This record gives sequence, structure tokens and C-alpha cells, in this order.
Amino acid sequence: MRALRQAPLAWASVATAVAGFAACLGVWLTGGGAIDVAWAPTLGLRLDLALDGLGSMYALLATGIGALVFSYGAAYLPWHLELERRPAREGWRFWPWMVLFMGSMVGLACARDLVLLFVFFDLTAVASYFLIGFDRNREARGSALMALLVTGVSAVAMLIGAVLLYDAYGTFSLPLLFERAEADTVTAVASALIAVAALAKSAQVPLHFWLPRAMVAPTPVSAYLHSAAMVAAGVLVLGRVHPLLARSEAVLDGLVVVGLASIAVGGILALAQDELKQVLAYSTISQYGYVVTLYGIGGARGAGAAALYVVAHAVAKSALFMTAGAVTVATGESRLSRLGGLARGLPLLAIASGVAAATLAALPLTIGFFKDELFFAAAIEAGPAVQILAVAAAALTVAYIGRFWLGVFAGQRREAPRPIPFLLVAPVALLALAALVGGIVVEPFARIAEDAATVTHAAAVEVTPAYHLDGRDENLMALAAWMLGGLVLLAPRAYRAVAGAAARLGDVAGPRRWYGLSLLWLNRVSDWAHDTEVRDLRNSIAAVLAPAAALIALAFAVTPSRGSYDVGPLAARDLPIVVLLALGALAAVTVAREDGRLRPVLALSVLGFALAGVYAVAGAPDVALVAVLVESVLTVVFVGVFARLPPTTVRRPPRRRLNAAIGAAAGVAAFAAIWAALSRPTATGGVAEEHLERAPEAHGGDVVTVILADFRGLDTLVEVTVLAVAIVGVASLLRRGRAW
Amino acid sequence: MSTVLEVVAPRLLGPAVMVAAAIIVKGYADVGDGFSAGVVVALAVALRYVTLGAERAELSLPLLRHAPVLAVSGLLLALVIGFVPVVVGDPPFTHWPPPGEPVIELGALELTTAVAFDVGVFLLVAGALVELIHQLARLVEGRRP
Repeated sequence: MRALRQAPLAWASVATAVAGFAACLGVWLTGGGAIDVAWAPTLGLRLDLALDGLGSMYALLATGIGALVFSYGAAYLPWHLELERRPAREGWRFWPWMVLFMGSMVGLACARDLVLLFVFFDLTAVASYFLIGFDRNREARGSALMALLVTGVSAVAMLIGAVLLYDAYGTFSLPLLFERAEADTVTAVASALIAVAALAKSAQVPLHFWLPRAMVAPTPVSAYLHSAAMVAAGVLVLGRVHPLLARSEAVLDGLVVVGLASIAVGGILALAQDELKQVLAYSTISQYGYVVTLYGIGGARGAGAAALYVVAHAVAKSALFMTAGAVTVATGESRLSRLGGLARGLPLLAIASGVAAATLAALPLTIGFFKDELFFAAAIEAGPAVQILAVAAAALTVAYIGRFWLGVFAGQRREAPRPIPFLLVAPVALLALAALVGGIVVEPFARIAEDAATVTHAAAVEVTPAYHLDGRDENLMALAAWMLGGLVLLAPRAYRAVAGAAARLGDVAGPRRWYGLSLLWLNRVSDWAHDTEVRDLRNSIAAVLAPAAALIALAFAVTPSRGSYDVGPLAARDLPIVVLLALGALAAVTVAREDGRLRPVLALSVLGFALAGVYAVAGAPDVALVAVLVESVLTVVFVGVFARLPPTTVRRPPRRRLNAAIGAAAGVAAFAAIWAALSRPTATGGVAEEHLERAPEAHGGDVVTVILADFRGLDTLVEVTVLAVAIVGVASLLRRGRAW
Repeated sequence: MSTVLEVVAPRLLGPAVMVAAAIIVKGYADVGDGFSAGVVVALAVALRYVTLGAERAELSLPLLRHAPVLAVSGLLLALVIGFVPVVVGDPPFTHWPPPGEPVIELGALELTTAVAFDVGVFLLVAGALVELIHQLARLVEGRRP
């Protein structure tokens, strides 16, 4: 009860996660469920959410591990805030984002529409930005921005892929696409683009570099985002769109290459790290490399193995991240080189994290054994090259995770650990228990993996992991991997040299350096363009007028002009319009020629009123009314402001010729555009006719009003919302956010 | 400022609100809508600011300080009108009463949700423009020596 009073928000989050877990479990056990609502039917967008096998698996992971990590966070966050000397109420900046993250993760798991997938994908990116940047120092901000940019910019590739598919097959809906899509270039390119977004999210080589830096986040964030959620979102998308990926051999082969490269890079660099969470971060890159490789191998075996792998890894990795946090709370240290011998002081944590490490290393009696069994089986099917690389990869895993656990808990004891809250150990123990149970009774885990793989493979899949006490290939490969891993551990000097060299190479020529350079240059170009534009009023206006003129000139250059410029007859009844337009032209000349303040403004309003008069005469009373009103307000405000400004002598602006040239170019372009528009015969039929016809049906007499409030009501709503946003902008720019 | 203007301008607010109300009431059947009505009110307020100055204008009409609230409530009203149909399963901006059914009339005012949406737009536009005028006026006043 005391804990509940101290951190109501944290426990509310835990309760949300538990409720979500129970709901997802219930729906999964009763055979799944789906919601399908038209969201924007004219654009073909549907709110198509289904808790099918794949959705259930990731939703259960997100909520189940979420519940455990949240309760861990309830004990961890107060310690973290105290360390950072921040008040305890700053938890408000933490928990809502965690819950939003969980929600969008569940949404992503269920989404069966490419646009919806993209929306949830970006929602997780936004939530992760605030979570990684929770400690508001420079390092945290840079890391959060890097994670957002790398995953967010690559997510755009997914949107492009979605649009390509929509263009070719007329739908964003995945089930429909699976039916319609053919094995052609469009499908291959689009699915490759979607895969790029997914791979960046899962921190795969060469877009892996954001993940180690994201470790500046508080430990619960790492334990959640970087084990069961954010990075899992990438492979979730791969699993969801796999039938499209499988249309092209090249895409699948690409996945295998990226996956194996990530296993190697992540595994080798994990051996070079000293910081606990860095070891785990590189391990995550490597582990998701396994999953990507499995999706690349594809087929029933690949899909089933990938699904079980995700579950086993999420359980083990979140436990290990929480262990790292708990160790840091107990000792104040976070480096392997300064830790050791904690097994006696923290026995329960040592055992629990030992089980988690064994799960990652795929030792028997843990669920991890089965993940590697299935991985090896799929590798055997993929050929001898993949088979050898698979053993090497598993050996690397054994080596780095062994180094991690032994480095923390075995060896010489440095100092006695402080007692830590039970809540920092209990979630680790529970996860370890789950891994052990899965190692003995694998049936429930195999069943959910089977359900998930059935969606991925788009056909029935059987996942049948079991212990076989014989000399089959899988067992031999596992034995070889353990022995190799053990050998690596016994030769610390050799692996340190290799891993250190790889790490140095990555610093010099790695993608992270390219990221930094491109960001730097982008900033410089943007600064230059911005400085040039806002240097004075003249440049600001020219920045609008000159490109507009250039674009219109370009448009005219490429469109046929025959018959586009029509000089019609002038009838007597057009006289009012001619007079008004002449008045407008005179006023425009006055605006351009007059110095001073008030006279140009008044001339400008004369021009506005003249045009309003044209609208009124030409039979557009609504437009005329709005034009008159807006013109009046502008004039009054102009006069009011100018009357209060101190008098200054207005000098003739320099570079008058350039001004005239830009103005003339823009004017000519606008003239040509309007002339061409007026030369076209009035469109008959179409939507305007329909609007006129149906206005009485909508109880309206004035068709413009009916269009605004009814037919195109959504547009109006968006426009007035822009107005509201503009006010917020003005208030924050002019008066530091004061509303009044 | 001329005395005539100083006497006339503040008294224009009442008629302006009347005109705005008229535009909304008959708006669905004739020219004009919530946007024009909002601008009419803002015009009268702007005239007040110009003649009296920000300080006096706001002292003499304390109601003005509620402009941000007005704008936000207008936006909320418009949002509610637009998206309540989604809850029932219709596309957004399905208005009530549906085509073909009789409209309840209060004098010249026709009670439809489209008119309510227009009222929302009116509140938002009027509130937003008054807020902008206020911000601008404060900025100019602040610059004064």
C-alpha cells in the first residue's frame, strides 16, 4: 500500500499492462478477434486491427513484459530521479510515455493495413524519443534524436513502399495485397522498402548504431524498448508482411545477408564493451540478426523458428537489462571491469540472471535451447554456408553472454553490494521462472509461436521443439557452439584484440560517423538557406515570389500552349468589371511606387476592395463578403499599428532594380497562369453540379455554406484547426506562450 | 484620433454582434457563414483597439480576455459535431437531421447540426482573431517608449 501511495502513476501503468495482458490472453485463447472500421474510405484507409496469432504473440510480449518492467520501474525510477537530482513528480514525464508506447506497440501488433502500420510505427518512435531523452542532458537529447531520425526517416521508406503497392494493386490492406500482389518488380521494390524501415527499427547493420547510444535511457526503458518492444517492432513488421517479402528471392537473400552481418557485428562488438548495458545493446543487435536471418530463410521452418526466437529472446533480454540496472543500484557501478563476485551478496539475482543468460546462450532446460534447435534446423535447410555461420553465431552468443554473467557475478568480490528493493529482483526472477518453465513444458510457447508463424507463412505451420537424446545435426551444432564459445571465453586476450580492432574500425569508418557528417552538412545548408531568407523583409518576400515564378515558368514550358490563351469578346455588361479591374491596376501601381507607410497600405486596401467588387459583380457573393471583411480587418489593423509606430524616415531601399525584376517575373508568371485559367471553358458536370443539386437535400439554400459545413466539413475543420494552431504559434513567438 | 471615431467605434460592437448573429441564423439559407460572422465581430473589436488603444479597449470590455477560451470551445464544438457520427458508425460530418427529414425551425433559425458546426467555426474565428489583435496590440504597445 505504501508503494501505491508513493507512486500511483507507476502502479496505474502496471495495472494497465496487466489488464492488457489479460485481455490479449483471453482473446487469443478464444481464437482471436478483429475490428474493421472504415477510417477514410475514399482514400482506402481502414482501421483494420486483428488479434490473430502474430498480433497476439507480440501483444502478449508487449503487455506481459511491460507489466514486469513497469513494476521494476516503480522501484527503479525513484532511485534514478534521486541520482539525477530531480523531484519525484517528474515521473509524470515518464509513465504516460511508457503506457503510450505499450499501447502503440499493441496497435502495431494488430494492424493489418500498411498505413495503420506506419502510423503505429511512428507513434512508437515518438514515444521512444521522449523516453530515451528522459534525462534532459545533451547526451540524452542527441541519442534520442538519433533514434528518432534513424528509425523515423527509414519509416518513410515504408510509406513509400505502401504507396507503391497501393498504386499497383489499389489497396493498403495486407490480406487483400497478399491475394492480389504478383511476383513482379513493384512488389519486390515495395517490400524491400518496407523491409528497410523494419530493419532500421530492429537496429540491423548498417542502421544499428542508434541502439547502443539509446542506452543513456533509464534502465526500465532499455529493458522494455530494447528487448520486447521498439526493436521487436521491426521484426514484427517483417513477420506481418512476410508473404510480400517472399514474392522475391532477392529480398529474402538480402534479409539473410543483413541478418548474418548483424549477428557478426553485434556479437563481436558485444565482446569489446565494458559498460553492462552496452554489452546487452550489441547483443540485441546480434539477436535480432538471428530473427532477420530466419525470416530471410523463410518457409515454414524459418517462420516458426523466428516466432519462438522472439519470445525466448524477449524474456531473456529484458531480464538481463533489469539485472544490469539492479546491479548498478546495488553497487553504483556499471562497468564489467569494476564489478565481480556479486553472486554471494545477491544470490537470487545471480541465479535468476544466470537462467536468463543460459536462455540466451541456448543451454538445455531453458526455453532458449529450443530457439537454437529450431534455428539450427532452419539453417540446415538453408545450406552448409548458413549452417557454419549459424554455429559461429551461436558460439559468439555463448561467449559474450558468458563474459557478461561471469564478469558480474563470478570472480573476485570488489565490494559488498547494498541491499536493494525486492521489486528490482522479483521481475527478473519471474522471467527466469518463465524461461525455465518453457524449457521443460515448451508446449504453450510452441503453440503461440505456431499461431504467429501461421500468419507469417500464410499457411499452416507446425512448431515442434523437443529434446532428442541422439546425435542428430541440431544437437551436434549446439554442442559445437557451446564448446567454441567456451574456448573464446578462455582466450580473453585474443578476443579482446579482435573485438577492440573491430570497434576502432567502426568508429573510424562506421555508419555512425556518416550519420554525424550528414547531419552536420544538412545543418549547415539549412542554416545558410534560413539566414539568407530571413536576413531582411525583401529576401523573405523574394523567397516566396522567385520560386513561384520559376515553378510557373517551368509548368508553362512543359505544357502545350495552343488554345490556352484566349482573348474573348468584351460585352457592354462587362463594363463594371473592367472599371473595377482598372482601379485595381492603378492601386497596384501606387503600392509599388509610393514611399512612406500609410499610402501604400491604403492603396493596397483599395486594390482588395476592387477585387471584392469584381467577385460581387461576377456572381460570387460569398467570396465577395469574405474578401470585404478580411480587407477591412487588415486595413484597420495596419492603420492601428502604423499609427502607433514611432515615425522614421523611410529611405529608398537599395537594389531596387533586382526588386523590380523579381516582382515583374512573379507578376508575369501570375498573369500568365490566371489568363490560362480564365481561357479554359467552364467545366460542366462534375462535382460542382452535384453540389448544387444536393444542397437543398442537405437543408441548405446557399451552396457555398453547405459545402463548407457539410459536403467538405472535414476540410473546414482542418482549416479552422490550422487557425487555432497559428494562434498558439503567434502567442509563443511574440509573447513567450502567454495566451492573454 | 478624431472624436467622432472615438465615440462611434466602441458603439459598433453591439451592431456587429447583431449582424454576426443574423449571418449565422440565416447563413444556411443565404450568403455568409460562421467565418464571415466571426470576422465581423473581430472587425468591430479591431476598431475598438485602434481608437481606444489596447489598454483602454481591454479595460472597458473585460469580456475580451475570454477570447482564447472562446476559440478553444469553438474548436471543441466543431470537433464534436464532426466526429460524434463516427461513434455511431457513420462517416464523419454526417449531419442531423438526415436528407429528406423535416427540420425543426425556431423562427428563422433552422436547428441542424450543420448550423451548430457553423457556430463552432464562428466562435473559433472570432476568438482567434481577437486573440491575434490582442497579441499584436500588446507587442506594439510594448515597443512604445
